[in-house]
Amino acid sequence: MDDLLKKDTMNRLNTQISGIRLDNPFILASGILDENGYTMKRVLDEGAAAVVTKSIGISERSGYRPPVVVEIDGGNMINAIGLANPGIDNFGEEMKIARESMKPVIGSVFGSTAEEFALLSRKMEMYGASAIELNLSCPHVKGFGQEVGSDPDLVESIVSEVKHAVKVPVFAKLSPNISDILEIAKAAEKADAYVLINTVKAMAIDIYARMPILSNSFGGMSGPCIKHVGIRYVYEVKQETGKEIIGVGGIRTGEDALEYMMAGASCVEIGTAVHSDGRKIFKKLSLETAKIMKTERIESIGEIIGAAIRK
Amino acid sequence: MRHSEVIKVEENTPTVKTIYFEWEQDAKPGQFIMAWVPGTGEIPISLSSTDTTKSITVKSYGPASDAITKLTKGSRIFFRGPYGRAFSPVTGPTLLVGGGSGMASLKPLITMDTDAIISARTAAELLFSDRIKGGKLFEVTDDGSAGIQGNPMDALSTLDLEKYKMIYVCGPEIMLKKVYDFLNGKQIRAEFAMERLMKCGIGVCDSCSIDGFQLCRDGSIFSIEELREMTEFGRTKLTESGKRVYLNY
Repeated sequence: MDDLLKKDTMNRLNTQISGIRLDNPFILASGILDENGYTMKRVLDEGAAAVVTKSIGISERSGYRPPVVVEIDGGNMINAIGLANPGIDNFGEEMKIARESMKPVIGSVFGSTAEEFALLSRKMEMYGASAIELNLSCPHVKGFGQEVGSDPDLVESIVSEVKHAVKVPVFAKLSPNISDILEIAKAAEKADAYVLINTVKAMAIDIYARMPILSNSFGGMSGPCIKHVGIRYVYEVKQETGKEIIGVGGIRTGEDALEYMMAGASCVEIGTAVHSDGRKIFKKLSLETAKIMKTERIESIGEIIGAAIRK
Repeated sequence: MRHSEVIKVEENTPTVKTIYFEWEQDAKPGQFIMAWVPGTGEIPISLSSTDTTKSITVKSYGPASDAITKLTKGSRIFFRGPYGRAFSPVTGPTLLVGGGSGMASLKPLITMDTDAIISARTAAELLFSDRIKGGKLFEVTDDGSAGIQGNPMDALSTLDLEKYKMIYVCGPEIMLKKVYDFLNGKQIRAEFAMERLMKCGIGVCDSCSIDGFQLCRDGSIFSIEELREMTEFGRTKLTESGKRVYLNY
């Protein structure tokens, strides 16, 4: 496969987000293979352009007891890991290991107040994060994520405080589980880019056990089944705000990635496809995307971002 | 999630039980399932029989495993899988090195040409000694209540290891590390079943990773050559929160 990815083909995939140079538009999404520094390093070495860390909070959390995932046919899943994380003070070593790859590591953080987000972001920047991703959208933990991210005033103050606290770019990851994403996007407009979308709140019941499978009952659905929800949000937010967007949700093929980029995404994050295709998904996506770009005579990612948006 | 009916329960030691159930699924020695106890929890557990009749061999160490040891004939067992990479099959003489309940995943590898070193804390906890029929059996206990008093290396060091086509090892990481150190550099083939905290079982949550490899997907079976490249083996691992702790075995 490496032979096929010749230099001229690879060059087509070069892109950037908020000034961060990326070898290709494929970034590992938060929550997937990003708790252990050695794993992040391996994912980067195996073809991801950048990784987003697991969301890190102020204090250590064990997360929910298993079952924490439910596999759904078609490469989809529902998860409720429960924001398991070692706490920011224990995360420096993982960042250090991951950064040996010499590629961008984006630090994801979650908190319940603007001050917490600012403190976490400062520490992530100190650990060498190339950017900060604000988790304003985890759908399954009380008091965090989506609960914080659905309050426009709180979102505005979080983004504003974090922007003051750090020099690196700040990305706001928003939830599809709210009535008006544009209202929240506007509240977060000081962010350098939006990350759209987080998982869709969902549930699976085992009829033989007569019980929800996840120990938390509710979780977040991801995989190909949410792709078109993501496409719609990316398109709508890009059209309305014109800001840079990182697309995420159900991307498994080069075609999916190009669809997101034509809807307005500058690059994309990959999560659940790691479950269906393994870590090799990153090389596969680069190859597929470059091939389509070649036959469609697309010389650079830049020329197709938002190409499908009707004026 | 799948379910099946428990057809037999066997008490192997005072603390270990084997639960048998029908499942027409191709599965190989070394693979595991995630066994779910609705309302209680879910645990990864190796298949101790891999024919049409499958089994898991469980020691009670927490709420979910405890509930599984209490299943009876006719109960429903819920699970998903099979997951993970299997042991490599070979023909000819093999050696098993099993510590504690580690013998569970080695049991389906037993043939008439299998020798085994089975270790446990006490005689009562020696697992599946009775299944070694054709080959030689070496029992090792911490307290000397059966066989050799000591650790598996005390038996390993007495054997001509080069005659084995494969040495299969399963047990706690401290034992794996000691066996690895003993075997490393010798002209042998060996595979180790690794253990790490596992949550998702499907290669996404990163809880069970070692040097960037996911035990649930790339393992849990690794060759001695693969372990040689791993800086985390016997040295560090992550807790359920993701906090790195040092083992220094």
